[in-house]
Amino acid sequence: MALFELQNVSKHFGGLQVVNDLSFTVEKNEIVSLIGPNGAGKTTILNLITGLYKSDAGKIVFDGHSLSGMEVHQITRLGIARTFQNLRLFLNMSIIENVMSAAYARTHANWFQIIARTPGFWKEEQRIRQLAEQKLAFFGERLVGYRYDQPAYSLSYANRRRLEIARAMMTEPKLLLLDEPAAGMNPKETQEVTQLIGQLRNELDLTIILIEHDMGVVGGISDRVIALDHGEKIAEGSYEAVATDPLVIEAYLGRNENVGRK
Amino acid sequence: MSRDKIGVDQWVEQYDQRVSRAKGIQGFIEQTSRRLPVWGWLICLVVLGALLPVATTNSFAIRIAGNIALMGILALGLNVVAGYAGLLDLGFIAFYGIGAYVYAYLSSDFTGIHFPTWATLIIIVVVSTLFGLLLGSPSLRLIGDYLAIVTLGFGQMFVQLTTSLTRVDLPGRDKPVDLTGGPNGIVNLDPLSIFGLKATTVVHYYLILLIVFAISILIIYHLYKSRVGRAWRALREDELAAQAMGMPNHRLKLQAFAIGAAFAGFSGGLFAAWQGSVFPSNFDTTLLITVYAIIVLGGLGSLPGVVLGAVIMIAVPDILRNAPLAGTLFYIGVIVTLFSVIKPRWQAIVLIVAIAIFGFILRAVLVGANPDAFTTLKPVGALISDTVRSWLPIPNNAMVVGNYGFAILIILVLAVSRIKRPLWRLAALVPTLYLLLFVWETRLVAEPSITRLLFVGVLLIVLMIYRPNGLLGQRRVEIA
Amino acid sequence: MDVFLQQLPQLLINGLTLGAVYALIALGYSMVYGVLQLLNFAHGDVYMIGAFIGYFVMVAFLPPDGPIIAPVLIIIFMMLLAMLGCGVLGVVIEQFAYRPLRNAPRIAPLISALGVSFFIQNAVQLTLTAKFRNYETEKLIAPGLAFDFGNARLSVTRALVIVTAIVLMIILQYLIRRTKLGKAMRAVAIDREAAAMMGVNVDQVIVFTFFIGSALAGAAGVLTGIVFTRIYHFMGFSAGLKGFTAAVLGGIGNIPGAMLGGFILGLTETFAVVFISSTYKDIVAFIVLIIVLLLRPRGLLGARIAQKV
Repeated sequence: MALFELQNVSKHFGGLQVVNDLSFTVEKNEIVSLIGPNGAGKTTILNLITGLYKSDAGKIVFDGHSLSGMEVHQITRLGIARTFQNLRLFLNMSIIENVMSAAYARTHANWFQIIARTPGFWKEEQRIRQLAEQKLAFFGERLVGYRYDQPAYSLSYANRRRLEIARAMMTEPKLLLLDEPAAGMNPKETQEVTQLIGQLRNELDLTIILIEHDMGVVGGISDRVIALDHGEKIAEGSYEAVATDPLVIEAYLGRNENVGRK
Repeated sequence: MSRDKIGVDQWVEQYDQRVSRAKGIQGFIEQTSRRLPVWGWLICLVVLGALLPVATTNSFAIRIAGNIALMGILALGLNVVAGYAGLLDLGFIAFYGIGAYVYAYLSSDFTGIHFPTWATLIIIVVVSTLFGLLLGSPSLRLIGDYLAIVTLGFGQMFVQLTTSLTRVDLPGRDKPVDLTGGPNGIVNLDPLSIFGLKATTVVHYYLILLIVFAISILIIYHLYKSRVGRAWRALREDELAAQAMGMPNHRLKLQAFAIGAAFAGFSGGLFAAWQGSVFPSNFDTTLLITVYAIIVLGGLGSLPGVVLGAVIMIAVPDILRNAPLAGTLFYIGVIVTLFSVIKPRWQAIVLIVAIAIFGFILRAVLVGANPDAFTTLKPVGALISDTVRSWLPIPNNAMVVGNYGFAILIILVLAVSRIKRPLWRLAALVPTLYLLLFVWETRLVAEPSITRLLFVGVLLIVLMIYRPNGLLGQRRVEIA
Repeated sequence: MDVFLQQLPQLLINGLTLGAVYALIALGYSMVYGVLQLLNFAHGDVYMIGAFIGYFVMVAFLPPDGPIIAPVLIIIFMMLLAMLGCGVLGVVIEQFAYRPLRNAPRIAPLISALGVSFFIQNAVQLTLTAKFRNYETEKLIAPGLAFDFGNARLSVTRALVIVTAIVLMIILQYLIRRTKLGKAMRAVAIDREAAAMMGVNVDQVIVFTFFIGSALAGAAGVLTGIVFTRIYHFMGFSAGLKGFTAAVLGGIGNIPGAMLGGFILGLTETFAVVFISSTYKDIVAFIVLIIVLLLRPRGLLGARIAQKV
């Protein structure tokens, strides 16, 4: 059985049908990219998966659990983590605290332990600190130059994106949803991110759903690409197949005389 | 609000430079503060605090210090709710009141119940926490700002109920029952008693409050540096992202609310014991605003900020009641502000001289034209105040003129803040500051309790505009 | 039950009078919240200032030996000057206490608003003292003048309050629906950034909103003075709380909602006084608010807004 499945999901805002009867599956350890022009409903799908929006119809199944009716934090606890297109870090908290905070659901210190600073508390605190440093170390030298107790707002744009990925990793997800991880990065940084996503999958055994406009990134790592337009799936398959699909080209460029309908 | 826009490497560099450059007292404090653990600070606080009754027997000073500690405990609770979790709880004082009334019920002849102190305090914490959950669980589900109104209404309701529940028909009683004592409150409460020792003097209460304050800081600090504290702050920063990172938002908010209520209730109990009585008017909006001012002044969410805020907000208003002291403090404050705000510094000196000359000319013209309309104010016994008083032309109907002066002063201050050209602004400051001195001597110093509240109001506005992160908060840097 | 039916018309009249005042205050709250998402805690104090402006205008035109001009004109002057004065005050507050904080964390303008409220209250107490002052309504409107409807009696004073409030609301509706600035205001309320990109002068719209909202509060202050006569420096606090409650009740940011909320609150309180007790009227109003919010989290007429992620 697939790790993740979207079954006939629909969502509308007022009169606008943003996602229309959409279905797809993601196998374990797969990297699936969602592409499509702006307004195709990509981010809405991530919001539906993570529970920020409630779907009007259809079913979302993850690891054997139906996600309908679950709260956002419960879904995260099941093993789905995400990053945000327009970056939502806890800017006034330190870098390490940003990452450590995401371990909330995986820690258990109770009120008494916290206030009395029992050995159990220290043990757990040290464990998540180490884990957090480990996650940050994943970005190699990029984040090491900073003091971890520096506030997050002192980070550069690209590093904020990296920190957001590290934070998502801290929830120990099985499925990672990345919303335009390369947005605003220069070509070199973009290449690094591409490499990193591959690494995450290989070394940490993750499954990844990726939204990205940079076709270099999409083509570089996707096992499968799903193209969307107006909330509907218009093509699915390998990057090469989807990228040359006339419907996809039409969706991006508008109808062209030379491109006939399928 | 101006935010410095600098690049990230620059930020790191500047930070390093700032730390290594800091020398002298500031450097010493900065470096020691880095090394000293929090309990070290608290021991310093308690030891220094305990020296006060040794150094002075002035019970007025000790009372102020005790009040600082009491308000500090209360503010710590609000700091969790508003500073960490970012919830605008405007009914916070009601929990303080609930704690005080529970103490009164369990330790007075009003009910005839006289519980031991320790039991009473435990019950207070339980009851106020329960009330916190009771109010919090529906209202925290409301959208954003609606929490403010529901809690504000709750706070109002508490005051109204304690004032009016004096004739309540209870089932099983023939006569209406007085539940709260109404505006006359509940009096003759038992003092605190610990291990059989009764707290009877101001010094006793001061020491108890000081120790409780220190322990409270430690507890709150431990919460701050824990999974719960991080989650609260994450929630404040970005509720949606926090949820998506697996933090149960509703539960965490409720916990913050309950912790805040528990601290407020506990401090309310101590307050009732110390005052020996409770009245509904002890729990009005003035106190709410004062406590908010305390946590905002030092920086929302900052623990040293709470200490600093409590000292300033409690000590300053009490000092204002002492006219000579208030005068001296006021003039020192004005001069320090001028020198720190106006750059280059020589301009501040020019300004002060200009005001003095302006004052002499104005005085000569006004008094020369109609000597009968002017009088002199009684000296207060402080050098600067008396000098200013003899320099100002004081009209016979000083109070009325002072009132008009106050109104004009507000307009002038607002106008000056709009002048962009530095020299024009400096020139406009001359009559403005002159008027400020006039209003201070004719009206403000005579009405210390109102002046204090005006001060709180202005402080909240100015602070939010110029230092939204408080006096101790770091200037936020945005990456260009 | 018969007693209830007999009292009902009179209660409706009294409730509508009170509700008219609440509705006028609520409108200002709601309009400001609509464009800025700011709870303007100083709004109640603007209302109090309005009541005082009206009072001093009245005193100026009513020397002990009788009114200088026709009483109707005095009332009109009181209203106009209070509205103008409060409008300007609202704009000044916005300029100095809220505008610098437009991009600050959400809690900052709220605390600044608390500061403004506190400052105004105490400034008034300093200059005008804490004593009560009374509108001499009987010198402006003959006390006996009333319309009788069977059991109920609608005094001209109350009629004046209700009619003025309704006329002001109709003018407001016209301003918002038909004028360019009103349309710009609605655009800003829906999406400030998009409106700015479409060439709407957002600052101008905000100034306009504060002016109109505060002017309505000023009118409410004068009307309160005329019908309930007693005014004092602290009257803005509880009135502000009521206006705020009314605005939330109807759905904050929603203008017809604010009017509806005001009238509902006024009627609720009036009925609570008669059937429960005057001590508990505020508590009843508060409980109604909580119930409404739990059942309809965005108020009676509030629309569901999709949150952008």
